[in-house]
Amino acid sequence: MDFTFTEEQQMLRDSVGKYLAKNYDFDARQKLVRSDAPWSPDVWQQFAEMVLLALPFGEEQGGLGGSITDCVAFVELFGRHLVIEPFTHSVMQAGAALAADEGAAAKAWLKKLIAGEAVIAFAYEEGHGTPSPDLITMTAQPSGEGYTLSGEKRLVVGGADAQALVVVARKGHSGAPTLFLVEAGAEGLVARTYPMIDGRSAANIRFDGVRAAALTCAGQQLDRILAQTIIVQCAEAVGAMGALVALTSEYAMTRKQFGMPIAGFQAVAHRLADMKIAYNKARATLLYTAALAESGAARPRDIAILKGQTGKLGRAIGEAAIQTHGGVGMTDELSVSHYHKRLLACDAMFGDHSYHFRKVGRG
Amino acid sequence: MNIDFAPELEAFRREVAEFFAAAPTPTIREAGRKTTSVFAPFKECMEWHRILFEKGWVAPHWPKEYGGTDWSVEQRFIFAEEYRKADLPPLLPQSLGMVGPLLIDLGTQEQKDRYLPGILSGQDFWAQGYSEPNSGSDLASLSCRAEAEGDDYIINGSKIWTTYAHHANRMFMLVRTSSEGKKQQGITFLLLDRMDYPGMVVRPIVGLDGFPEQCEVFFDNVRVPQSGRVGAENDGWSVAKHLLKHERGGSGGASPALMRYCERAREAAAQTPSPFGGMLADDPVFQRDIGELEADIASLGHFEKLAISGHDVALDPAFPSMNKTINSELVQRASTLMMQISGVDSLARQLEALRVGSNVEPLGSEFDLVAMPLYLNSRATTIYAGSNEVQRDLIARSMASAGAGA
Repeated sequence: MDFTFTEEQQMLRDSVGKYLAKNYDFDARQKLVRSDAPWSPDVWQQFAEMVLLALPFGEEQGGLGGSITDCVAFVELFGRHLVIEPFTHSVMQAGAALAADEGAAAKAWLKKLIAGEAVIAFAYEEGHGTPSPDLITMTAQPSGEGYTLSGEKRLVVGGADAQALVVVARKGHSGAPTLFLVEAGAEGLVARTYPMIDGRSAANIRFDGVRAAALTCAGQQLDRILAQTIIVQCAEAVGAMGALVALTSEYAMTRKQFGMPIAGFQAVAHRLADMKIAYNKARATLLYTAALAESGAARPRDIAILKGQTGKLGRAIGEAAIQTHGGVGMTDELSVSHYHKRLLACDAMFGDHSYHFRKVGRG
Repeated sequence: MNIDFAPELEAFRREVAEFFAAAPTPTIREAGRKTTSVFAPFKECMEWHRILFEKGWVAPHWPKEYGGTDWSVEQRFIFAEEYRKADLPPLLPQSLGMVGPLLIDLGTQEQKDRYLPGILSGQDFWAQGYSEPNSGSDLASLSCRAEAEGDDYIINGSKIWTTYAHHANRMFMLVRTSSEGKKQQGITFLLLDRMDYPGMVVRPIVGLDGFPEQCEVFFDNVRVPQSGRVGAENDGWSVAKHLLKHERGGSGGASPALMRYCERAREAAAQTPSPFGGMLADDPVFQRDIGELEADIASLGHFEKLAISGHDVALDPAFPSMNKTINSELVQRASTLMMQISGVDSLARQLEALRVGSNVEPLGSEFDLVAMPLYLNSRATTIYAGSNEVQRDLIARSMASAGAGA
């Protein structure tokens, strides 16, 4: 049993960390969020050059055959820097869907994705967090050589600016959920774009008889994509939690009231201790579950435990961080509230902690 | 990163399970099911200790040359899981988990030769003499005095919350040998090779659950040999701190025992009607509550596995405090859930039916018999071994010295 990053993973982590420290400090990030751009094309290109976009895909597809723990190693740093580029949705979801398809169109899109030439969004969510593919209601009707899609997808991260969409829908009303490819600008697509509370760009997209091509989606493929998404999203959340614990303890050591640092008051000290405990629990569960998934032994229960714990503990850390910072914790200017909002998003997406705890409890 | 799922491990699991199915006597099994504390019923627990010793499995976490095993982390967890599945009484921590590992690290050769065999075989049982009536959380303020006289110390004072001292034949303790300097500097760590020294009196204290688990120990001019000292005179505080290193949950951590409580709670909930109709086990609120608890227990298990496998998390100076805080609060949550499931059926006081070997039939199920005593006894988990308030102080202090918590 070993839960430490390998030497190679540590090197990857170091180089991503160095790049983000230099180019993605909080001020630079806020400038980007306030601009009109949904994310930074320069940063995305850098991710491509650092081969992060190629990492999870097989070598035969132009990837590097990286594992889930490789992804966890650097995505944790995305959380620490509140990265807004749609890595999880474009690479871990849409990319993984394309990689499983043998067709020429899918291969071409994956090649572009790996090269950083295209961002592809994953149109999955239908409201309420859609924690399981079983809840998908959008249907695809056969039409000519392909299908037509009708209905609405919500919170499609990067949806309005992606060059293509991978859409999850059922073939007919009774079919199992499967995957479809739609190019941006297709007739009948209407997107309403909005900024998310955590700085990312998302869209609600209406499909009105949109032409789509079916992708190969074998057996448990969607469940696998979702499980990997959850692990990576939790890595991001744990990175954000670590940053909040560090920022908050530092603040409590320096902020003085009643003539002493507030960390000297036991009520504050104990809240700091609880934050550290929560962070250690969440990170232990992240590393364990990632190692389990790499061994091919992660059951749905393990994924639900990770998602539930990260959601609950993340929100608790965020709320404690704001409370400890007091008034300044309430401002847009400080990073604290932005971390909290990223954690809220990580909790709500793909089933919040209440859902996942009940899933664990139902057995 | 990796987790080993080699087929040999399944064979090991079968070997352990088969032994646990065959070796314990019916009374040992009964004692396991009737354990309502960290401390199992003494007599049967020591019987089981001796059986495990014969098998060579009594101290999996000890170095092999001292009678331990060379099991992998995976094997240690499998052992702990099977142990709990079989509802066997947990071995008492004072000897195997505390003074034994301490002597292996810091004892003289003579002390090791003299004491380790008895600790391992279960011939001896050691009590831990730390707390005093006026020194609980502030342990370093302890005042039980030992004056050097010739080759001996003369001890005067008292100890309290000394678990199972009335069953012990030996004792390790902290005494004050100097009042000079900082309070931590005048403390000495002593081994007492017997409990029946002239002037020594042990008095059991009946607890809120009705059982005499804790004791007071009084010392009136008790003369003990100085050869029982571990470390230097006045250096006992660092010896005691070293012992903390070994409070990592013994062989396989605390999470398997907690998961077993949840299993028992699920079994009981499947038999308990919900006032809203159907069974409690099908109630969404119950499912959410037990799921949340099990997820938190799983996180403790992950934290323990990281630590035991050598992850950096164990190097954090706050590790023992975090581990203790998480574990103790989960014991309370699990026992609270059990008590709530049992409801009014937990309100009968059934001390006689709880006794191992009793021929008094319990009023309800075995679950109802143990739920309340377990709940009551587990109020102690956040008090003993350094209250959780003290642990949180230590965790917060580690964040100050690190300059960061992450």
